[in-house]
Amino acid sequence: MIPLSHFLIISACLFCIGLYAVLTKKNAIQILIGIEFMINAAVLNFVAFGKFDKVNGGGQLFALFAIVLAAAGVAVALAIILNVYKHFKTIDPSKINKLKD
Amino acid sequence: MQEIEFSEFVGLISLLVILLPLFSFLLILAGRKGRGANLALINISISFILSVYLFFFIWNKQPIHYQIPWFLIGDIEFKAGVLLNNLSVLMITLVSGISVLVHIYSRTYMKDDLNIHRYWAYLGLFCFSMLGLVISDNLLLIYLFWELVGFSSFLLIGFWYTRPIASQAAKKAFIMNRIGDIGFLIGIIIIFSQFRTLDITALFGDMGLVKTSLVDKGLWISASRQMPEVWLSIAGLAFFIGAMAKSAQFPLHTWLPDAMEGPTSVSSLIHAATMVAAGVFLIARVYPVFDPFVLNTMVCIGAFTAFMAATIALSQNDIKRILAYSTISQLGFMVMALGIGAYSESIFHLATHAFFKCLLFLAAGSVIHQLHHYRDEHSLDFDNQDIRIMGGLKKGMPITFIGMCLASSALIGLPLSSGYLSKDAILINAFEWAGSRDGIYTMIPYIMVITSWLTVFYISRLVFKVFFSTPKRMSMEQANQIQDAPKQMSYVLVILSFFCLFFAFSFNPFSFESSWLWDGFSSNLFQKVNLYHWLIPLILNIGTAVLIFTAYKIYVKNDGMSISEKNIFHRFFIQEWYLNELYRYLFTVPVEKFSNVCYWFDRNIIDALVLKSVTLISILSAISHWCDRILVDGFVNALGTCAKWIGHFSRNFQTGKLQHYLISMLLVVLSFFILTYFI
Repeated sequence: MIPLSHFLIISACLFCIGLYAVLTKKNAIQILIGIEFMINAAVLNFVAFGKFDKVNGGGQLFALFAIVLAAAGVAVALAIILNVYKHFKTIDPSKINKLKD
Repeated sequence: MQEIEFSEFVGLISLLVILLPLFSFLLILAGRKGRGANLALINISISFILSVYLFFFIWNKQPIHYQIPWFLIGDIEFKAGVLLNNLSVLMITLVSGISVLVHIYSRTYMKDDLNIHRYWAYLGLFCFSMLGLVISDNLLLIYLFWELVGFSSFLLIGFWYTRPIASQAAKKAFIMNRIGDIGFLIGIIIIFSQFRTLDITALFGDMGLVKTSLVDKGLWISASRQMPEVWLSIAGLAFFIGAMAKSAQFPLHTWLPDAMEGPTSVSSLIHAATMVAAGVFLIARVYPVFDPFVLNTMVCIGAFTAFMAATIALSQNDIKRILAYSTISQLGFMVMALGIGAYSESIFHLATHAFFKCLLFLAAGSVIHQLHHYRDEHSLDFDNQDIRIMGGLKKGMPITFIGMCLASSALIGLPLSSGYLSKDAILINAFEWAGSRDGIYTMIPYIMVITSWLTVFYISRLVFKVFFSTPKRMSMEQANQIQDAPKQMSYVLVILSFFCLFFAFSFNPFSFESSWLWDGFSSNLFQKVNLYHWLIPLILNIGTAVLIFTAYKIYVKNDGMSISEKNIFHRFFIQEWYLNELYRYLFTVPVEKFSNVCYWFDRNIIDALVLKSVTLISILSAISHWCDRILVDGFVNALGTCAKWIGHFSRNFQTGKLQHYLISMLLVVLSFFILTYFI
């Protein structure tokens, strides 16, 4: 039986890798991949904690929800990235600084 | 009903009498320079005619008292109005009559003056105030006019204000009169607080408040209230001080000789009928208020003034100054007469004196005027008012000479003159009065007799020196060339000469009791002593004859008899009893010293304090400036800088790049996390 702390460490690592990717990558797609990492870290936590849940399968159910939502979020994000590319002719976030106005 | 209309009518006429001179004052001041002679003369003449009309209306008939409400203080109503009785109609006739003559005289006398319009205007104001004074029916109004008389005399005496000596004299007259005014005011205040009215009829009438008030056990009790007895004496003295200043009684007489710096016609007006008579008039108006103590004071002061002024007149050399002291002396007679209760004699003398003193001044004026012209024509150099250099004017100036002689005989009191009637009346009354007194008061009539002999001598000296003796600085022929003054002036002298004779006042030249004027005020107080009635005039006139003869010997014949000018009496008299010096050391010098001390105090203490406080304030302001700059501004600037710095700092977060925002969010979340779980 694998102890809970192992799951949590793995998920923390995943989250940190995702965070790192979000903060450092020069490509919007890669940032999106980082976000997926972070979502998956959360999903892993759901599943791991679901073992201790009184309602059977509650954690797994939420994990499935989260995966669906993440897929929808990725679809929207990819559409935004496409539009950003259309507008700026680049998807490097460090070159797009129009948010400050 | 008819009664009321009648008194209203008379009241309006008297109002017109006093307002006409005021109109000429206002119109002439508003008019062109150098004009106004005719207007002034016409106004004063109408005034005079109306006064004569009033005189015949009122004299020895029912007095007329007409008044209207004036103002209200609390529940006490003040009324303004006119009171016409024997005294006031006599006075308005006298004042306006003399004023008319002086106006006519001045037309020629003042002809060459550039500012003649001012002269006419001031004369108008002067006549207005004097006429107003005599017909006012309450003390407050009288006080108003009293002040106006003082003020207009100030203007007239200082008419030639470019001469410093004249403006000094005007100031002196004004200040001396102010002292008297204060006395008068105190008197009014005391009377008002005792009786709650200032109406003359109510106060001093036959059954007036003053007469019905009584003095009992040290209290002065009137109908409604009471105060200590001493206030009655103080009130009397206060009124008397007022009269003293106006009527030039010792010790407030020194302004009058100096007032000779005004034009001679003005001196004549002031001396004869108007200003100096105001004091005697006031005493006569408020007569019932004087208690025996004040009356005795009045006798002493009057007698002393008469004597002192006569001695000074003996020694003076300026023709106008001699006459000025003569006026003071005669006023002393009047005041003394009032003091002994010889009310009607005093008023009688006031009237006769008005005419002969006016004549004396106007005659002196024509001498001065003619000498002045003669001096300018022949470019000689002498003082045209100094009797020592005059002489021999008898031939060329017969009218002036005769006028002067008649006026002098009236002043001396020679038989057949008006002065004989009035002056001897006063002396007879003085003897009768002294008969019922003892101690020093028995001396009074003798002092008066000596004074009237002194009068004889100084006026004889004046006449002999001016008209008989040998002139200095020019030859007898030259002196004989000097002619009488121009017609207008001479006519005035002739008219006045008429009033110096007995028949203007009485049909019997030897008895003042048969005089209509004396009769109008008859107040025979004393047991008539027949002996006095013929003995006193007799002795007086014998002495007079001797003295005139002596003066003739000394000043005309020059045969060995002469009066040394070295002796101590002469020095004492010519310095006017050193009174001016005395006042100088008693009042002027201390006041000057005091003002110097004040000046020093002002310069060294007050100014120093001010300067010190200036320094203090500038130091304080420097400190507060520093505080403001460094502390207040510094705080504000620090806040500003701080805000600016924070703004700069937080600007850096706003890069516009997605990942930087994310880092910021992360940091915020992390810091909340740390704050929540670790601290």
